[in-house]
Amino acid sequence: MRCEDPVPAPALDAIRAPLAALNATLSDPPVIQPLNLMLDLAGEAMRARLFVVQDEGGREACLRPDFTVAIAREHFRSGGASGRYRYEGRAFRVAPAGALDSHPEEFLQVGVEVFGEPASPGADAEILGAAWRAACAGGRGDLSLRLGDVALFGAVLSSLDVAPEVAGRLVRALGRPRQLSVLLQRAGRDAALDAQEARIAGLPRDAAMAAIEAIWAQKDLEPIGGRGAAEIAERLAAKAFAARSPRLTAAQLKTIDRYLALSGAPQDVLSDVKTLTGGAAAQAALESWAGRLAGFRQAGVDLTRATLNTRFSRAFGYYDGFLFEVLSASLPADAPLAAGGRYDGLTERLGGMTSSAVGCMVRPARVWMETGR
Amino acid sequence: MSDPLILALPSKGRLKEQCEAWLESAGYRLETSGSGRGYTAVLKGAPGITVQLLSAGSIAAALDAGDVHLGVTGEDLLRERSEDIDARVMLLRPLGFGSADVVVAAPEAWIDVDTMADVDEVAHDYLARTGGRLRVATKYTILTRTFFAAHGVVDYRIVPSAGATEGAPAAGSAELIVDITTTGTTLTANNLKILKDGIILKSQANLAASLTAIWSSAQKSGAAAILSKDEQAGLVAQLDR
Repeated sequence: MRCEDPVPAPALDAIRAPLAALNATLSDPPVIQPLNLMLDLAGEAMRARLFVVQDEGGREACLRPDFTVAIAREHFRSGGASGRYRYEGRAFRVAPAGALDSHPEEFLQVGVEVFGEPASPGADAEILGAAWRAACAGGRGDLSLRLGDVALFGAVLSSLDVAPEVAGRLVRALGRPRQLSVLLQRAGRDAALDAQEARIAGLPRDAAMAAIEAIWAQKDLEPIGGRGAAEIAERLAAKAFAARSPRLTAAQLKTIDRYLALSGAPQDVLSDVKTLTGGAAAQAALESWAGRLAGFRQAGVDLTRATLNTRFSRAFGYYDGFLFEVLSASLPADAPLAAGGRYDGLTERLGGMTSSAVGCMVRPARVWMETGR
Repeated sequence: MSDPLILALPSKGRLKEQCEAWLESAGYRLETSGSGRGYTAVLKGAPGITVQLLSAGSIAAALDAGDVHLGVTGEDLLRERSEDIDARVMLLRPLGFGSADVVVAAPEAWIDVDTMADVDEVAHDYLARTGGRLRVATKYTILTRTFFAAHGVVDYRIVPSAGATEGAPAAGSAELIVDITTTGTTLTANNLKILKDGIILKSQANLAASLTAIWSSAQKSGAAAILSKDEQAGLVAQLDR
């Protein structure tokens, strides 16, 4: 397993200081986390990055790949409505094949997670400001800030009157470029039904269910696989509806493509988005961004170093709103010094109450790496 | 005497018989040393080669690790080792036997599901409705992950299965399976159907070379006993890179 060099105590103190100033409780969550939960949240593709451990009975768990889920679980166990947690410890990720030294498999991570405080541009700025100052504490002069917003994409789609189920899938695919382009291609086409499917889709619900059950009986099929006649009938009806009206019109597709091509200085990108759509949802999202940028400036972030990229998202992340990462010109683009954002949806998926959530993590060894030598 | 070239061959079953027939057609006879249960053998007519008799799965592992130079095993077993197996093992020649397809199969009762795109939609609905992910029973976790990713399907979970995978949907432990099939009759008997675009790999037994093994120049030239001129040249070019 590839480890990283330790960061000298004074350097670590300096990197930690901006996070420690956030008035959060120091938390020490378990290194070993439930494997099933991690895979349910992040998807099967995450498995290749996890160190899986087994006890003697063969039950599987994994070493924490980051702290977000581990801290969120602690928070919900505590039962409190709101909480601020700071962490400092090692996390573990299997390096992809051919990875460089910038991807050790055991690494130090420090960070903060805030649950249950009202979501606001100011709250976002507080977290991003602390992460930026921590990243700057290593003395690197070549930092840049990459900003994104998963929710802005959703707001643009909503402003374009894209059907909610289509929009939901596109938003979730934002961090996976290949899946996104597959979905966009597919959504621009008519859904094809074969003769049997079309016949069933044309029936009222009860008759459609009866027709499906008749096919099962006639072919002597066991209805295995956990989907009943009702669900199959519903999906065929939805497919038939989609076939009558393409899921995305050519005009919608064109605007989405133009939106996804935007990247540059945050102010410029935001004004470009404004010209793409005048819908209420998009305008509200743009107003939040104006407040966020003002907050970043106040927090001491150098916005001349920032870009807003409409495609920026994370394949394994839980982020569903604004997100960021801090990069260094002397480190690979897939090795951020710090990263974070808003992930309000995670709390519900963890079985807790719906709660706002924002946080950041900093990798001290990347922040410090060259400046200390 | 210099170290021999190690060739790994299947130790049992139909694959072993087919391997012996193939070697005989090339003019070699496999002679197990000592008792008939031996795990090493010699190739009569090829003195520089030592044969190790292993299970097909162990041969794939030994080629990957560089414990043997050449081996005969299923392409499915090699591809399941790792996504980047081509960097460590070179497939030299499909041998025309041991054919089987690795496929994605869904319940036949799902009359609305014929393609991976359907699976993606159903998986998405399933996640939205139940909060859980569609489960795929398989022993081919790496092939499954790569194939599903290529089709943009993400809302699923793999349920590792050691055996009798085709029974998982009926038993309620998974909704789909990825498994190997030759005729499809076992799938049909279990009320499963292969998706139209669900063939992950058309596998067969392959003669393969380990790129991670240490090859002396004697071993490189000794491979000529088994390989064609072109195959040997291709292998040496790979090894020297």
